[in-house]
Amino acid sequence: MRAVSKAKNHSIARKSLRRTIFFVAAILFAASTFDAYNQAQLAVVLILFIGVLSVTLLTGISGQLSLGQGALMAVGGYCMALLMINQNYSLWVAIPLAIVGSALAGLLLGIAAARLTGPYLAGTTLVIALAIPTLANRFMSVLKGDEGLPVDVGYPPVWFTNLFGEPSYEQWQLYVALPFAAIALFLASNILLSRTGRMWRAIRDNETAAALSGVNFSRQKIFVFVVSATFAGLSGALYGLRGLVGPSVYPVSLSLLLLTAAVLGGIRSIFGAFIGTVIVVFLPDWIDAVLHQFELSEQVSNFMPALVSSLLLILTVVINPAGVAGTHLHKHKHK
Amino acid sequence: MDTFLAALFSGSSRGAIYALVALGLVIVWRGAGILNYAQMGQAMFSTYIASTMITNGNSYWLAFVVAILVGAVMGVLLDILVMRPLSNKKKTELLSSESMRAAIPVIASLGILGALQALAGIIWAAEERGFPAPYAQEGFTVANNVMPFTSFDVFVITVVLSTLALTSLFFKKTGVGLAMRATALNSEVARLSGIRTNFTRSLSWAFSGAASSLAGLLITPTSNLSPNTLDLVLIIGFTAAVVGGLDSPAGAVIGGFLVGMVISFVSFYDTPEDVFLAILAVLILVLIIRPRGILGAKDARRV
Repeated sequence: MRAVSKAKNHSIARKSLRRTIFFVAAILFAASTFDAYNQAQLAVVLILFIGVLSVTLLTGISGQLSLGQGALMAVGGYCMALLMINQNYSLWVAIPLAIVGSALAGLLLGIAAARLTGPYLAGTTLVIALAIPTLANRFMSVLKGDEGLPVDVGYPPVWFTNLFGEPSYEQWQLYVALPFAAIALFLASNILLSRTGRMWRAIRDNETAAALSGVNFSRQKIFVFVVSATFAGLSGALYGLRGLVGPSVYPVSLSLLLLTAAVLGGIRSIFGAFIGTVIVVFLPDWIDAVLHQFELSEQVSNFMPALVSSLLLILTVVINPAGVAGTHLHKHKHK
Repeated sequence: MDTFLAALFSGSSRGAIYALVALGLVIVWRGAGILNYAQMGQAMFSTYIASTMITNGNSYWLAFVVAILVGAVMGVLLDILVMRPLSNKKKTELLSSESMRAAIPVIASLGILGALQALAGIIWAAEERGFPAPYAQEGFTVANNVMPFTSFDVFVITVVLSTLALTSLFFKKTGVGLAMRATALNSEVARLSGIRTNFTRSLSWAFSGAASSLAGLLITPTSNLSPNTLDLVLIIGFTAAVVGGLDSPAGAVIGGFLVGMVISFVSFYDTPEDVFLAILAVLILVLIIRPRGILGAKDARRV
C-alpha cells in the first residue's frame, strides 16, 4: 500500500515537473520574441499569475469566495519592503520572509473566515480589502502613508551577467519573477493532483459528505487560507518590486482583477488561471489597438478595458461558468 | 457636548441612508437569495441620470422621481437578464457544488458593478461632480449658535422614515407583500400555492433598486458624485445588514442607524481615516458574537 502511494506521489511530482519545465520554456521563448514593453507586461503576467493561483486554490478548488486577496498581497509587499529598506536584506531573503508574514496573516484570516460561507465571506473579505490599506496611514511613521515605500528589483548579480550577458531592466524583472512563478505553478499543480487537492474539492462539493469521509473540514479550510495567502503574499511582494509598495498599489480593484482573471480563464484549472491572467493584463493593449482605428475621445478609451472585462465576466458566468479552460473539465465528469 | 451633539445628528442622518442601503440588500437577499454587490452601482447610475436631467434644466423633483423609477427598472432588468438565467441554469459539474452556486451570483453582480462604473465613466467622465440638495445645507441657528443639523438632514430623515414605514405597511398589509414574504420564506411552497415567484422575485429587485437609488440621491449632496463614490456606501450597508440580520428588514434599519452612529462617532472623536478599521471591527465582532445579527431568524442559513 505504502509503496503504491509512494509511486503515485512520484508520478504526480513528475507530471507537475513536466508542466513547469514546459511553462518556463514557453515563457522564455515568448520573452525572446517580445519588445521591452511586452517583456515588462509578461513580467506582470507572471506576477499576477501567482496571485490568480491563490484565487483558483481558494475559490475554485475549495469553494471559498474571497474578495480580499489584494489585502494579502499588500501584507506580502509591505513585509518585503520593510525588510529591504530597514534591514537592508536582499530581495532573495526578503521575499521568503515576506511569504512567512503573509502566511501568518492568512492563518488569522482563515481562523476568522472558516466559519463564514458564501456572501458573508465575500462581504467580510471585501471589507478587509478596504480596511487593510488604510493601516498605512494609521502607522504613518513605519509604513509611510500614501507615499508608500519605494523598492525595486535592483541589478542582476555579477555571476548572472557573466553567464547570460547584461539583461535590460524589463528582462531582469521577468527573470526575477520567472523562478517564483515556476515554483508556484509546481506547488499548485502538486496540490491539485494530490490527496490534499481531493480533500479540498470534497469540502467544496459537500461539507457533510467530506466530514463523513474523514476530512477535518474546519482545519482544511484554514489550511487552504494559509496556502492561498502564501501565493498571494508572494505575488504582492513581486508586484511591489515594480517600484513602489503603497496603498495605491493594492486597491480593492486589484482583488477584483484577480477574481476576474480566475473566472475568465477557468476557476478550477491552473491553465485557466494563466490564460485569464494573460487576458486581463493584455486586454487594455488589445483594445487600444482596435480603438486606435476609430477616433475616440480619451474618456471612452480610458474606460473601455474595464467595460469589456466586466462584460466578459458577466458573459462567462452566465454562458460558460467553467471559463476558457473549462471545456476539458467535461472529460473528467464523474457521474 | 457640542462634539457629542454633532456626532449624534450626523450619525442619525447618515444612519438613515445606510438603513436604506441595508434594506435594499436585505430585500433582494430574502427575495432571491442573492447578495447584490452591484446595488450601489445601480444607484450611482440613476443618480447620474438625475444629475444630467437637472443640468439640462429639469426640476429637482422630476429628476428625483425619474431616478427612483430608473433604479427600479434597472433592478428588474438585472433580474431578468442575468440573475434569473443563472438560477435556472441546469446543474453542470461546476454548478453542482453548493458553494459555487452561492459564489456565481456574487461574481456576476461584481461584473455588473464593474460594467456600470465603466459605462458611467464613458458617458459622464470620471471627474467628480456635485449633486444638488433640495434644502439648505446650513445648520439651524438656535440662540445664535449654529447647530450641526440642517434642513436637508431633516428632509433625509423624514424621507427615509416614511419610506421605511410604507415598505413595512406594504409587506404586512397588501396581498403582493404577503406573496413576497411567502416567496422569501420558502419559494418552492409559495410556487405550489399559486404565487408567481418569478414575478415576486423581480418585484424585490425593483424595490431594492428604488430604495438604493433613493439612498444615492440622498447621500451624493454631501459626498459628490463619481463612478466609484458609492462603493464605500455599499460596504457600510453590507455591514449594517449583517449587524441587523441579513434576513430581517427591521434589523437592517437598526443596523443602519447603529453603523451610522459608529462611523459618525469615530470620525468626530478619532479621525475619519479610521472609519474602515472601525467597520471591520464591528463586522468581525458581530460575526463572532451573534452571526445571525440582532434580529436575524434563528434558523437562518449558517454563515
